[in-house]
Amino acid sequence: MSNFGTISFKNTDYRIVLPFYVYAAISFLVVTVLMFFSIDAFKGHYFHPHILSITHLMALGWGTMIILGASHQLVPVLIEAPLFSKKLAAISFILAAVGIPMLVYGFYLFQLIWPAEYGACLIVLAVLAFLINIGSSISKSKNENIHALFVFSATGWLFLTVSSGLLFLHNLTNPFLPSDSLRYLPLHAHAGIIGWFLLLVIGVGSRLIPLFLISKYHNTRLLWWIYGLINSALIIFVVLFLYDADKPWFLLPILLISVAVLSFAHFCYQSYAQRIRKQVDNPMRLSLLSVGLLVLPMIFLIVIVIFLIIGASKMNSLVLSYGFLVFFGWITAIILAMTFKTLPFIVWNKAYHKLAGLYKTPNPKDLFDSAVFRWMVISYLCGFVLFVIGVLTSKGWILQSGALLLLATAVFYNWNVFKIVMHKPRLV
Amino acid sequence: MNIITNNELKSTIASTALYNVIDPEIGLNVVDLGLIYQLDFKENEKAVYCKMTLTTQFCPMGASIKEGVENVLQDTFKEDAIQVELTFDPAWNMDMISEEGRHFLGR
Repeated sequence: MSNFGTISFKNTDYRIVLPFYVYAAISFLVVTVLMFFSIDAFKGHYFHPHILSITHLMALGWGTMIILGASHQLVPVLIEAPLFSKKLAAISFILAAVGIPMLVYGFYLFQLIWPAEYGACLIVLAVLAFLINIGSSISKSKNENIHALFVFSATGWLFLTVSSGLLFLHNLTNPFLPSDSLRYLPLHAHAGIIGWFLLLVIGVGSRLIPLFLISKYHNTRLLWWIYGLINSALIIFVVLFLYDADKPWFLLPILLISVAVLSFAHFCYQSYAQRIRKQVDNPMRLSLLSVGLLVLPMIFLIVIVIFLIIGASKMNSLVLSYGFLVFFGWITAIILAMTFKTLPFIVWNKAYHKLAGLYKTPNPKDLFDSAVFRWMVISYLCGFVLFVIGVLTSKGWILQSGALLLLATAVFYNWNVFKIVMHKPRLV
Repeated sequence: MNIITNNELKSTIASTALYNVIDPEIGLNVVDLGLIYQLDFKENEKAVYCKMTLTTQFCPMGASIKEGVENVLQDTFKEDAIQVELTFDPAWNMDMISEEGRHFLGR
């Protein structure tokens, strides 16, 4: 135990992180309200103003905003170095917070130049600020690690996603690309879904899941393989797409992604099996379920490509279901879970750090209502299943019931998020 | 894991007090978690020196845990100056959890 090296540390200020969480919670509520009142849109083509609006609010307002917020807190944990700049974090929040409603409102009314394109410009700048912040933080870190590489690469793909989105949006009103924007939609969507969300969730999850389970399992080699598989699959997909390759070729990137997803599932299972902490709380259970939910969109994607190969028509409901399974399936499940593994701790730290050890304080998990959390999970799972069935069968009443349950999920989620954020210190 | 000390009696008193500092995420106290590496008592300077770690560097709960250790030591040794230093060399690992800690986590 000799040769101690002392060190000081500084966590990211909660004032940087909390606005992202609150913004995401409100976005989720707005999305579910929009869905409830846009049921007919889910019976038609996916390139519908309301579907575009809902998808972008889900992807950006909900998924991306909460991940940006959590990343400002978690990246220092991953890279073992402080966040490079608070100002850049604040700038990226303000730009995204203004840009997202402009884009979503623009899509909803199909007013694509003002406000949609201007909103998209702000979002690109927000992501650029985040990319610089994360890149600079990682470059200042003394430790190289695979998790940081996942996060940085994911942010790079996010930048490509939003930049390409801006180009395709501009191409809708002022055509300058060889084809119409609808043709490029798979590129834009998969750079975001696979490049941003999947890479990031695996990069952060592979650090946090063993940490929360107190698991002895480590497998950096497997994580490198997963990283290589996902990035190779994306690059192969882009090349195949741009060179208009025959449809069967598209099974190759899907195969690589499937191997990566199954490898990550194996990683999570091993972490679970080799855990020291036997009791697994409800947010962790939902996190592990979200990993299982990753498999569903993969199956749908394989079916879609097979249908494309055999030249089947009328695939709208399959494509819509695929998108729904991605955004309302594993992405929403992991956010619903991880919010309650991160936000209570951030607020607890703010409220109780001066009292630690001296008085009996509530535990972080006491900052939210566990019964409301359970109802949230039940309504989410029921609403999720019903809505998928509704999209596949185009039955209005099933869609409406699913949307209502998802709206209830958002209400329960917001209830607990605001309960945590507005928590006032008290002793027990 | 054994705590390095220059005063066994005072170290036992300090450790007993430090059982009240809980890692809020894990729910286990810092002693059984193996976060306390060293407790030295400088009689001439009337100071208590504690060297400790965290389960992970930049642990989001790190500030609270460190402050908890400072608070408890100050409350126990009221007349003394308290100095708590963080170290990540050696880095914490699961083998540092005590038998009691393992029993608690394995329930």
